[in-house]
Amino acid sequence: MQDNDIDRRTVLALTGTTAGTLALAGCLGNGDDDDENGDEDDRTDENGDDAPADLWEPVEDPPDAVYVPTHRESMIMLESLDAGEYRIAPMLSYPHSFWTVAGSDVSRELPEDMSGVHMMFSLWDPETDTVLPANIGASIEVFYEGERVDQRDSWSMISQEMGFHFGDNVSLEEDGTYEVEVDLPALSARTTGDLEGRFTDDETVSFEFEYDQAFRDDVSDVTWIDEDEWGDRGALEPMDHGGHDEHGEHDEHGEHGNHDDEHGEHEHGEHDHHHVPYSQLPAVDAFPGTLLVEADGNGEPPAETDDLPRSGDAAVLATLLESDSRLAEDGRYLLVSPRTPYNRVPLPEMSLNATVERDGETVHDALDLEQTVDDEYGHHYGASLAEVEPGDTVTLEITAPPQIARHQGYETAFLEMDPIELTVPETQ
Amino acid sequence: MTLPDRSALSRRDYLRALVAVGGATALSACTSESDEVEVPTGTDDPESLPERQHAWNEALSRDDDGNVSPPEHHVLVALSLASEPTDEVRERVEDALQTLERAYEWSTEGLLFTLGYTPAYFDRFDGELPESVDLPEPTAIVGEVDEFDEFDALLHLASDHSQVVLEAEEGLFGEHDELNGLAVETDLTGVFERVDERRRTGFVGEGLPAEHAALGGVPDSVPDDAPFFMGFRSGFDESQATEDRVTIDDGPFVDGTTEHVSSMRIQLSQWFDQESHEMRVAKTFSPEHADDELVGEVGEKLSTSTALTTERIEATEDDARSGVVGHAQKAARAREDGEPLLLRRDFNTVDGDEPGLHFLSLQAEIDAFVRVRETMEGDDLGLPSLNNGITGYIFPDRRGNFLVPPRSLRALPPPDPG
Repeated sequence: MQDNDIDRRTVLALTGTTAGTLALAGCLGNGDDDDENGDEDDRTDENGDDAPADLWEPVEDPPDAVYVPTHRESMIMLESLDAGEYRIAPMLSYPHSFWTVAGSDVSRELPEDMSGVHMMFSLWDPETDTVLPANIGASIEVFYEGERVDQRDSWSMISQEMGFHFGDNVSLEEDGTYEVEVDLPALSARTTGDLEGRFTDDETVSFEFEYDQAFRDDVSDVTWIDEDEWGDRGALEPMDHGGHDEHGEHDEHGEHGNHDDEHGEHEHGEHDHHHVPYSQLPAVDAFPGTLLVEADGNGEPPAETDDLPRSGDAAVLATLLESDSRLAEDGRYLLVSPRTPYNRVPLPEMSLNATVERDGETVHDALDLEQTVDDEYGHHYGASLAEVEPGDTVTLEITAPPQIARHQGYETAFLEMDPIELTVPETQ
Repeated sequence: MTLPDRSALSRRDYLRALVAVGGATALSACTSESDEVEVPTGTDDPESLPERQHAWNEALSRDDDGNVSPPEHHVLVALSLASEPTDEVRERVEDALQTLERAYEWSTEGLLFTLGYTPAYFDRFDGELPESVDLPEPTAIVGEVDEFDEFDALLHLASDHSQVVLEAEEGLFGEHDELNGLAVETDLTGVFERVDERRRTGFVGEGLPAEHAALGGVPDSVPDDAPFFMGFRSGFDESQATEDRVTIDDGPFVDGTTEHVSSMRIQLSQWFDQESHEMRVAKTFSPEHADDELVGEVGEKLSTSTALTTERIEATEDDARSGVVGHAQKAARAREDGEPLLLRRDFNTVDGDEPGLHFLSLQAEIDAFVRVRETMEGDDLGLPSLNNGITGYIFPDRRGNFLVPPRSLRALPPPDPG
């Protein structure tokens, strides 16, 4: 399905011709050596011991699940900007490889032109600190010396370190100052709680950045994961956007080393504008109501993310809020919160519906759940259920897996997503 | 005006680039490239030509599947009226246009053209356009379009020969003495002024987009035989309205039509470098076209239609629940009684050194275009923009609406001709 079959010679040729830092990053496996020429030679020699040969090295036979990628990607965070009710943090790195999704088809973006940037944006509500992981459809225009050199709609993406963000690779031909204009449309998802009725206006922000050798040096500081762990089930820990914490990762094998602070020195601006919230959903115990249990499980309600039912390796929390909940309109409210395992990153742009059955009779048939962002429960899918009782079976059918691009380690998960059969427990 | 570098381009590309540059120098360069081309001459009998200016289909060639093939070279000349529209001036415009018709055969080997007028043109008159003509001021319709054609008239010149469109334009504006060997006695100088910054050009034809891969923004991965930038054939007979359908059938402008022109850039590096062929097929036609491999590399498996059954069109909402819909199936929801409303005569462009499209469509009323465009936007489908057909890949920034009157009223018509 996805194109993992990369021509290695092509990759080497591409990176070999790009005077610089990208090549170096791939080969050294540490950020200590700033000598690009030497780096480039090292890279093409491929003679490192445990130093992987290139950034686009695919993991062999990755599981159809979240897995540990080959490396951490470093980036530069620019000052956060306010645009109407939105706050947005632009981040820049070297061009990244990622995977786009349409329906259940996957296509790998393999940057051909290493002259350029991977442009990323986090978007959130500064009042409630809620990341807004919904269909942003933000378009980006890039100008150089007053002339537009690029215009595109951005991909919504998830990565293990960055969580939900949006962006794309943008080729840049010249070194110099670039101006970027980001058009943020009104939020398309339903908003509830303190977010209700907000983010209804289109907004525009612009910022500038320098693209030069110093930039390339700054972002080339890639850290490689021990090759033995590539493809293991697990994930890198979220990057700390405050810039003063150490990196880590957690997986089923425990902690890794290499917890360097990779980007703290690049930050600038007022302290308030350092903070970028990571799109992490609340833990299981933060959700009220009656947690639905797996129909073929032990009947115990899930206590943590690991206990949640999985579909395509997504951990899917489903809870029935009482009819007096602020989210319920007619009857009880079914709140479904799919998230990545390990990091609890939301999975936007899914289509899913719920069928409720009682004693073999259908009570609700394939009721569509609406994508919603709430300040308290974050991103989820929900619908009011007029009729639901203890003992009912609730089947969640996923007709579209998350239609968002993925960085390495997420591209084989959340694609083939089987229905989840749940039961409303008798008592809880 | 800088001419393109002959040594850096194929002959075809060079001619295309000359059309884009325009002007007497480009014409001269073009003519010296095309010496051997013999262009058929036209007619002294204006009555022998169709009353509908837009009656091109009879004069156009057909491809192997029987679809109408559009001319290869196009120029849209934006015009600003420089004198009062008196009867004397009208006669001069008509004489100038008849000069074109004498010089060039009404065909793709010769020259096809239309002259249309904006709402701004009609504003200068006291009278109003009749109810049988729907010609509103252009609006954004969708997205952030904020530039509108507010000049007076648009001359669309089309031919398979680049030097014909250049020569016709230069001859009409006093920059060239002869049209296909015929002396120019009357031109439009003093009646119209060209609005140079609104001049637009483009091209259609197999292999043409790929030849522009050297230009900015067109990736190398455009298929060699793709006739349009986005990689697939277009203009299938069954997805085009008939000329009858788009013709105004009542009132003083009977046998006229309305014309909408929007200009847009296309984001081709995402389209070709970040997506698979299956994704492009799904987004251009429908997910079923991709699953059932109905299209082929550049659309060669499709013959005279986009293979859009009623079921595939009606499946649009269901397909959206699976994450992606096709442009063709989505827009076809606007069909009436199964028939398309628009006759597209659009063409690709590299104006401004960016890959783009001048979307030119004819319809009986502008509102038909608006309905199709809103349907195509698919806001009702709740999809991420880049999975919503092709809407996330195109960036329209300019729209214009025109009335293309019948031939007998093409010279500076009043809004209420008797």
